[in-house]
Amino acid sequence: MERLLPRVLLFALAACLPLGLVLLPIGTFLVLSFFHMENSQIVPSFWLANYANFFRNWTYLGTFLGTLWLCTQVTAICMLLGYPIAWFVWRRSGTLRYFLLLLTVLPLFMSYIVKLYTIRSVLGLNGLLNQVLVGLGILEKPSLLFMFNQHAVLGTMAVLYIPFAILPIFLTLERIPANLMEASRDLGASPWSTFRYVVFPLALPGTIAGALFTFVLALGDFVTPQMVGGTTGFTFGRVIWSQFGLAYNWPFGAAMAAILLATALLIIALASYSASRQRI
Amino acid sequence: MKKATSISRRKFALGSAATIASFTAAPAIVRAAAKELRVLTWEGYAEPDWVDPFKAATGADVSIVYTGSVDEMFAKMQGSKGADFDVVAFDTSSFKRYMDSNLIQPIDLSKVANAQNIIPEFKSIDAIKRDDKQYGIPFAWGSLPLIYDATAFPTAPDSWTVMWDPQYAQQMIALDDANNSIVLAALVLGFPEPYNLTDDQFEQVKQKLIEQKKLLLTYYAGFDEGVKLFADNKLKLMFSMGEPQVAALKGKGVNAALSIPKEKAIGWLDCWVISAGAKDVDLANQWINTCLDKKVGNLLSTKKSYGNTTDAEANKSIGMTYGDRLAWLLTPENFEKRVAVWNEVKAS
Repeated sequence: MERLLPRVLLFALAACLPLGLVLLPIGTFLVLSFFHMENSQIVPSFWLANYANFFRNWTYLGTFLGTLWLCTQVTAICMLLGYPIAWFVWRRSGTLRYFLLLLTVLPLFMSYIVKLYTIRSVLGLNGLLNQVLVGLGILEKPSLLFMFNQHAVLGTMAVLYIPFAILPIFLTLERIPANLMEASRDLGASPWSTFRYVVFPLALPGTIAGALFTFVLALGDFVTPQMVGGTTGFTFGRVIWSQFGLAYNWPFGAAMAAILLATALLIIALASYSASRQRI
Repeated sequence: MKKATSISRRKFALGSAATIASFTAAPAIVRAAAKELRVLTWEGYAEPDWVDPFKAATGADVSIVYTGSVDEMFAKMQGSKGADFDVVAFDTSSFKRYMDSNLIQPIDLSKVANAQNIIPEFKSIDAIKRDDKQYGIPFAWGSLPLIYDATAFPTAPDSWTVMWDPQYAQQMIALDDANNSIVLAALVLGFPEPYNLTDDQFEQVKQKLIEQKKLLLTYYAGFDEGVKLFADNKLKLMFSMGEPQVAALKGKGVNAALSIPKEKAIGWLDCWVISAGAKDVDLANQWINTCLDKKVGNLLSTKKSYGNTTDAEANKSIGMTYGDRLAWLLTPENFEKRVAVWNEVKAS
């Protein structure tokens, strides 16, 4: 008994943090999503109307699906660019490898908003890109083509989230024993076969983790599309945002946030399932 | 909506140091004073320039609490049913909810001698009246004007329809705000009650906004963001967040100017009100009387760059001569509906 009590207390203390800071707020949100509004007051109830409203209203459902598609594209770009970069860094030796790795994660030390403004000043009308293109005579006058459209959203989000793709891929590549690759070569496999049958399967868990990071981070980002996407930069996060503040429809906002959370959890579950099946 | 104007007002505020000072000083004042006026307001509305004379004249102490948002202000008032404050300043769009919740009381104008100083355009504002009783005294105002590049427009555009002109496609930005966008479109469509729309009018407003959407470079949120976008992309027109954006643009070398088009522009009008829980109504009346002193109106315009309601000359000196051409913010018929319509526009 004497020894049990302090341990229980210690456990309770340790459990307070995740319980109080993660589960409790999320739980509150879930509960709130079943409430409803009456005369501008939030009334406790168990209504599914908020969820029904979401699925019945194409504005919200359509924006949600559009956001999922956007995140899929961002993830694809990050994977297509991030994998070769991770591979390239991994194939370097000694100090150079870690120096390059540091370079790829260096953007993470910078504030997200600062990066956004930097990208905007590079791609904007008076930006570096336009100055270079006009200077080289490729463009007659500065163009707005690089900013305030869907391409700008994709490009900017890819730049912001690519370190999250590179890092886990690199880490799994690095754990592949060199003698496995040598054995593959000794047995007559071409470089492509070695990649296809040895490296790729072994690095798959990291690849899936990288894709997951980029997808889930992109899913929650409603600032980037708004800042660089022009009038088309409307995403699901912004829809949720619009229900708070003066609109004061917290229950509906909470229901849509719950849907976003459920989607993210589902994707994480699917990814971890496929990663566990691939383990060799 | 109010959020937008309040941010621009912060630009002229003294900074949060004053807020902290007032918060920490308040308990001390409470203990020391017998007669005390408790003020809940925006920064810039209770300056030493008129607080000190008020203290000297009444012998009362003044404790000031500054607010950061309309919602915070309402929460503070509702939390105590008004008992924590004697006078409060907020804008016309908030009156409905304060009156509905019985948090404020009618003002007896015969006890406010300086009420005669109020210039004509602010004498009869419907938003602050209910059942023939007046609940607020207009004090400071501003607008959400059309800002344009005066180099591109030698004469000021006199209609908001210029922001629907394909000629200026991708050279315009508009405020990302559900209520303000819908009110503006309703004004452009000539609807008599832009804060009280029918379903049919909502549909027309929506189509009008969708029509404009493809001509805009982007929507913007935030005072500085609008200025930066305008300056960086050499824009021609913007549905602005307030007069101070003109000065900020000039600071960035843009030849900016503002216009109040013939369809009117949205205006915010902050008024002093007396809390339902005021301890000393006479003292509250005296405070309002002090604020309606022409000298205070002058300071408000010349020092803080707000429109004032008592000194027409001071308004003129800062170019704010259009108080009668603004559609003062009102509580809209259904805020949720407005957010939904705005989301439909943005998702279209």
